[in-house]
Amino acid sequence: MADNNAPAAPNPAPQPAAAAPKLDMDALLKEATNNQVWKSMFRNWPWQDNARHRARHIVDNLWLHLHPTKVRPRALETTFTWGLGGLSFLLYLLLTVTGVLLMFYYRPTVELAYQDMKDLEFAVSFGIFLRNAHRWGAHGMVTIVILHMIRVFLTGSYKKPREFNWGVGVILLTLTLFLSFTGYLLPWDQLAIWAVTVGTNMAAATPLLGNEGPFANLLGMTISNDVRFVLLGGTTVGANTLLRFYVMHCVLVPLVTGALIMLHFWRVRKDTFSAAPREPNEEKLDVWPHLVVREYIAAAICIAFIFFVSVYFNAPLEEVANPNVTPNPSKAPWYFLGLQELLVYFDPWIAGVLLPGLIIKGLCAIPYLDTNPKGVGEYNWKDRPFANAVFMFGIAMWFILIAIGVYCRGPNYFWYWPWESWLIHKPAPPATWSFPIWAGLVSLAAYGGLGMALPRVLKGDIDWKKANWGFAVFALALGAFMGFKGIETWRIIVVDILLWLTFVFGFLYPQRHLKELDFTRYSVTQSLNLMMMGVLLKMGVRLGLDVKYILELPQFNLNI
Amino acid sequence: MTKRQLFYVFNFLILALFIAAVVVDNNREWKGYQAEFNRLEVIRLKEAMNKAPDEAEKSALAVAVKLKKREPVAIKQILANDLGRADRCITCHPGFDPLANPTLTTPYEKAPYKTPEVAEHKSHNLTKLACTSCHMGQGLATTVEDAHGEVPHWEEPMLKGVYIQASCVRCHGDFKTLKGAETAKRGKELVDRLGCVGCHSFNGVGGEISVDLGDIADKPVSRIDWSHTGECKGAECGPLPRHQWNVKNWIEAHFTKDTLLLVPGDPEGHQCAPGAHCEPVPPSGMPPFSAELSKEDAAAITTYLMGQTSNKVPSNYYVYSAKEPEPKFANAVEHGKFVFSKYGCAGCHGEGGKEGRRNYNAKANDQTKMEEGREPTLVKVVGNFTRDELRDKIKKGVPASAVAKFKEDGPTPPLYMPKWEEKIKGAELEDLMTYLFSIAEKQEAW
Repeated sequence: MADNNAPAAPNPAPQPAAAAPKLDMDALLKEATNNQVWKSMFRNWPWQDNARHRARHIVDNLWLHLHPTKVRPRALETTFTWGLGGLSFLLYLLLTVTGVLLMFYYRPTVELAYQDMKDLEFAVSFGIFLRNAHRWGAHGMVTIVILHMIRVFLTGSYKKPREFNWGVGVILLTLTLFLSFTGYLLPWDQLAIWAVTVGTNMAAATPLLGNEGPFANLLGMTISNDVRFVLLGGTTVGANTLLRFYVMHCVLVPLVTGALIMLHFWRVRKDTFSAAPREPNEEKLDVWPHLVVREYIAAAICIAFIFFVSVYFNAPLEEVANPNVTPNPSKAPWYFLGLQELLVYFDPWIAGVLLPGLIIKGLCAIPYLDTNPKGVGEYNWKDRPFANAVFMFGIAMWFILIAIGVYCRGPNYFWYWPWESWLIHKPAPPATWSFPIWAGLVSLAAYGGLGMALPRVLKGDIDWKKANWGFAVFALALGAFMGFKGIETWRIIVVDILLWLTFVFGFLYPQRHLKELDFTRYSVTQSLNLMMMGVLLKMGVRLGLDVKYILELPQFNLNI
Repeated sequence: MTKRQLFYVFNFLILALFIAAVVVDNNREWKGYQAEFNRLEVIRLKEAMNKAPDEAEKSALAVAVKLKKREPVAIKQILANDLGRADRCITCHPGFDPLANPTLTTPYEKAPYKTPEVAEHKSHNLTKLACTSCHMGQGLATTVEDAHGEVPHWEEPMLKGVYIQASCVRCHGDFKTLKGAETAKRGKELVDRLGCVGCHSFNGVGGEISVDLGDIADKPVSRIDWSHTGECKGAECGPLPRHQWNVKNWIEAHFTKDTLLLVPGDPEGHQCAPGAHCEPVPPSGMPPFSAELSKEDAAAITTYLMGQTSNKVPSNYYVYSAKEPEPKFANAVEHGKFVFSKYGCAGCHGEGGKEGRRNYNAKANDQTKMEEGREPTLVKVVGNFTRDELRDKIKKGVPASAVAKFKEDGPTPPLYMPKWEEKIKGAELEDLMTYLFSIAEKQEAW
């Protein structure tokens, strides 16, 4: 248009009389904002781009004021935080919104719950989109909260003065899992009740408090008064369980989680953000706009992703729940499948109660055990090799166990490769055997005693190269002996690899890095470490040698 | 990309995805079907209006056209509260809406609007029964695939063709005399003739060897081993495709396939853990009927069995049958023949006791393989018994452990002679024996 006019009017000066009234956006904006109503809503109007106003943007805004007004440049780097903490909170909000909307359509009774799922899918406008967003958002939140924990660990952000907030974070992770788990039951389909049956059956194995746990008879626990009964409101997953889980999912746990999130944020602010300075005396940067825009973009990417998945992929829904028909296999929600995988190797009170309990307590204890002052607010592998290696080893183990549970377990919980059909009938696994009691006691004592003593007693630096070669010779000899006994090669390899991992992480690493620790910290750290490696060793002797129990004391329901 | 660009890109992406969600939600399958039906109705009504003989009818039809044009598309459903059903079938098949279209017929030929004259629709009160009480399928669903129900995790797909007669059996105690339930009746007759009750019972009445069929239509899909239910190549059968996993296909496979291929068991002990000692598992004990049953026969038995459910309708919906008259018999042999069929002896010993059916790994004459094992052929063996011996045999039976094996380390033969002393006694027992001796081949005197 401008081209057409060009020859006729070389001077594009405005001709106010002839042209239609031009839309002056600036004037319009001024008109709209320069009045009492607007100014009463937005403080410090009109906005000016100077340091004072950028700061006021943060401190004068209810939603933004938990931020500091300035942060270190490192804190703005995507690859430092990956936006994970903020995204966890975003998903909490998204789940609250979609969850409240879903509550309008959902009735928590066994007769109606499943029907309401069908209504959401087939009759309610945006029903399936809401349900998908809630489902995928929940899985996303579990994933992101775990990743956030890994990030905080690797940047050393749990160290002094942030020890307490790390503990709050661990509790929040547990609550996130519990939120997701209580929601898992609500569709009231086969997937739901059997996953919850698997999950809550572990509660029955709690020592003292569960009717199937060790020493259950000391407190007179039966199936109808133990901790599982309290959780379910009955002896099986039924109408009461649905109501209990509904109330916990929609009211109790979100409230507690929300309160702890506030505490968590407040402490982040009070303890200051951990990012370490890039150079001494560096200038901090304004949170508005630098951090806010990054947070916004991260949130936008996350929401776009959840929307995309929710439009094109439907949340699973199986047959209506039937307590008389157990699917084979019955699996817990994916984030508990690591623990369910451990059920293959351990009794439920270890796999379902002791180990998760130790994991949570161990995580909470980390800031108090780790006295290494280095590597706060930065990814630093060099200065904290032991902490990073052991932590990442645990995380890798957790996810490998989950992957096995999700992809490699088929009917009868036998091993099926992902590409194998579950319709193939597999032979039963070989018969197992247990150590006699004396051998069990001796092995446990030897593992615990030597594992605790050796790294501390052996002074001086061990040459890792030599140690590993030495181990290789031992592994070969062991392998040859096992082969001589007629044990298949793959089993020998499994045993050798797991023994080697135990040797490295249970002995070499602690020997090099934990020597200087005081006695209390050393004992706690090394015993947690040995416990983790013990899980691996037990898996090794089961897979390689078909050992059921190292120590078997059936009279106390105590088998290890 | 700069932050500003990212800001715009992702804001617009979210907006686009939200619009996509709206579009997906607005373009639900059922909306198209119902809109098309309304369009067809408008055309039909307009034609009728143009042909209307007088002004009064013309203006009445004009109002109808106007109303139809304004009618919004909406989910329509029949709530059959007594039967616990909420069926949305009429959302896409509006011709069957008993309130909006009381004649239940439309002139359209194309699915889903095709609504032919069906006597059963007229004789059943659709506002009380809805659709899925008889047709099955997923009444709550509103997509073609889900509603018709041949999808994973829906266990009651629509009963098509003759199989719909299974629903007659569910509510009509008198289905044998019911017009339109001929296939179900034929199925019941076959069940009686083949002697299914020798091994199976129906709600506790019948044999003890295999499962009770009184609620067989309720069998959960996840309890069925689908690995050999599909196409066969030689002696190996693959699985059915996932969407065809339903109990109807499972039942029917028992009559269209050799049961040995359908449930092969583990007679060689391959499933046993290495080093452990396990009992080999015999294949299905059910004798093969596929060779002697036509496709129609198989469908008929399946139809009858699909009517066997424990999900009973409320008693005021159930049609009870008159008590059948006591049969009368001319002589003891006739009565004995009746007893033979009443207790399903034919199931193992063959019709008229003429040929013993397969009993895997049982000892038989001229046998080379385990699957050639047979139950005794009564016409051949009864002659060897005295009357007292035969009475004793029927009363005490032959336990599974006492059935002679062909291969000693093979599986225990799945079929055996149950104890009949609690069930067959008095005149029934005596007349049964009279009948058996009457059909026995004459033994030569020594």
